[in-house]
Amino acid sequence: MAIFLQQLINGIAQGGMYALIALGYTMVYGIVELINFAHGDVYTLGTFLCIAVLALLGVAEGSHIGGWQGAAIALLVIALAALLCGVIGVLIERLAYRRLRNAPRLAPLITAIGVSFLLQGVMRNWKGPSEISFPQFLPNPTFAFGGVHIDFRELLVVVVSVAMMIALQLFIYNTKLGKAMRATAQDRDAAQLMGININTTIAWTFFVGSALAGVAGFISGMYFGTTMFTNGYQAGLKAFTAAVLGGIGNIGGAMLGGFLIGIVEAMTAQYISDQWTNVVVFSILILILVVRPSGLLGEQLPEKV
Amino acid sequence: MHMPSLRSHVSFAVAALIAMLAAGCAQQSSAPGTGGTSNVIKIGIDLPLSGADASIGVPTQYGAQLAIRQANEHRLVPGFTLEAYVLDDAVNGVHDPAQGAKNIQTLGADPAVLGIIGPFNSSVARAEIPLSNSLQLALVSPANTNPTLTKGAEALGMRKEHPDQIAYFRVCTTDDIQGPAGATYEYAQLGVRRAYVIDDNETYGKGVADQWEAAFRKLGGTVLGHDHITKGQLDFHALLTRVAGTHPDIVFFGGNSSTGGGLIRKQMPDAGLGGIVYAGADGISDTQFLQDAGVTANNVYVTVASVNAAKLPVAQKFIADYLAAYKQPIGPYSANAYAAASVVIDAIAKAVKANGGRTPTRDQVLANLRATKDFSSVIGTFSFDANGDTTNRVITFNKAVNDKWQFVTQQNFAGKP
Repeated sequence: MAIFLQQLINGIAQGGMYALIALGYTMVYGIVELINFAHGDVYTLGTFLCIAVLALLGVAEGSHIGGWQGAAIALLVIALAALLCGVIGVLIERLAYRRLRNAPRLAPLITAIGVSFLLQGVMRNWKGPSEISFPQFLPNPTFAFGGVHIDFRELLVVVVSVAMMIALQLFIYNTKLGKAMRATAQDRDAAQLMGININTTIAWTFFVGSALAGVAGFISGMYFGTTMFTNGYQAGLKAFTAAVLGGIGNIGGAMLGGFLIGIVEAMTAQYISDQWTNVVVFSILILILVVRPSGLLGEQLPEKV
Repeated sequence: MHMPSLRSHVSFAVAALIAMLAAGCAQQSSAPGTGGTSNVIKIGIDLPLSGADASIGVPTQYGAQLAIRQANEHRLVPGFTLEAYVLDDAVNGVHDPAQGAKNIQTLGADPAVLGIIGPFNSSVARAEIPLSNSLQLALVSPANTNPTLTKGAEALGMRKEHPDQIAYFRVCTTDDIQGPAGATYEYAQLGVRRAYVIDDNETYGKGVADQWEAAFRKLGGTVLGHDHITKGQLDFHALLTRVAGTHPDIVFFGGNSSTGGGLIRKQMPDAGLGGIVYAGADGISDTQFLQDAGVTANNVYVTVASVNAAKLPVAQKFIADYLAAYKQPIGPYSANAYAAASVVIDAIAKAVKANGGRTPTRDQVLANLRATKDFSSVIGTFSFDANGDTTNRVITFNKAVNDKWQFVTQQNFAGKP
């Protein structure tokens, strides 16, 4: 039982990261019906930017900064990573996708794959093609409850990802911009007729989605202590799966899908074998798509799958 | 619109054809064995030289290059200048069998290449051995340890075209010696009894892990589980939680630093395994491991399928020269690469002599390599057996102490089957 709970914690921590990335996929898909394959790389770029910011702040591998100072640095790094990733997301949309908005679907899809390679190339030339370590500057106390232990990093992942999702939900349903996003997602032409600036709204969608990827980049750096320029590919694929599993275009679905995939992975590693995790995850995806093509929570957008 | 584009296609095809013909002619004019006047002989070097594999690959490359440079200085091949033709088989920072095969084809297409030093990884060797066999171009590895590359049915399958004409050799010993040597050391010297085995599912990693596991069981140890990880995997928390649930006193990893060796160690404390012995073979004996594992690079034991050159009197000059040339200490396989290059240069020199000072053929070089007997090198005196394996069977044991590799001991397994 203790092991089951421990794996549940592992799964939730990993799932929180998938969920944060999946939000970006699902928001962009919901609004422009584009699968933004560069999104996973924006997430990895987030980790790279955090490492760069930490280096500028003089936080090196092996330094430990606790208390208010540590928290302040962490917040500053998260904020900068989110801001920079958000700006990069907006730039990608402006330079690569906007002109193709009314082109056949294949064109923006291929462009997205191209942007993904471009970002990977930039990161590769920036930091080299090997694993680079992320300074674990925050203290990492462990809390144990009857055989189950949670450390600070796992708590950080879960708390930050859940907080971000709540904030996003509030933003989408309680602000004017959120309302504009929902309207654009429902019917772009009608929204435009109602006086909504489509370009601005879509740019903001990319900003928010990419900023969330930047936050995910920070917490994955803290959690794994390492990154590599190709990491975004697999993480992005899993997050995309999470978005489809939950019902692409549906924000609650992306979160549910992310956590589910994280938990399924951990349980597969425990009770079947680590090498089968990808097989199990993608088998579940296929099953869901066959049985419920709109995803678990995707009923309101059947035509978007 | 259609006609011009068709015409331009035709003219492009014609131009391409002409270019190809020209290239073909150029190649033929300097084919090997024709006693051409060209006085450059190239030695190919195919190793993983970028990314996470660079920390072990580049010092190996330097070892081979130093041998080539010194051979030129000492005029070991009179009348010829030796040149290193270096290719990287890592793609996106990790050794890649397909890239390795492509490199062998590139090197094979250059008639001036009479021998190749490499590859480093057994999975790459699997892709390269059939090509080197079919080209009958000598391939001498400083570091491949998987036994199936030279022995048994699998090895025969890899040299289908010329089953009896060995073209692949290696100067390090194999995992059927390295795996059991490590298991015996850890069982007897560290007193561990309960092991969990993890490998990266590659030719080398799985092979050495299986050998280690079999030997550990034979000694009386318990193997609690054996898992395989996936390429590109970053998160090992779930796997390590499963490992921790079985309460091992040693975790053995078969694989490389570039396939997760250091990351697993780094994440072990998160699953409560920080105090457990971590062991591996030569694939994690590099500085990339130390960098990835960081402060957890402690209580880690590895084997290297080679002598520790620092302990050999004959290697002292090489070590000093290497330090002077590259301003860094030698890597675990630098001396092996130097020895591999030396044996190839020796074979070329003999072939040149037998050929009356003219450019020898690849076959002549190969014949000399096959006949290598009691060759004295910086890693000791060795011969190649009928399979192309070295008779020099030494295993070195190292351990990581405070982020540094330290020599523990070494053992000679010469004469074992």
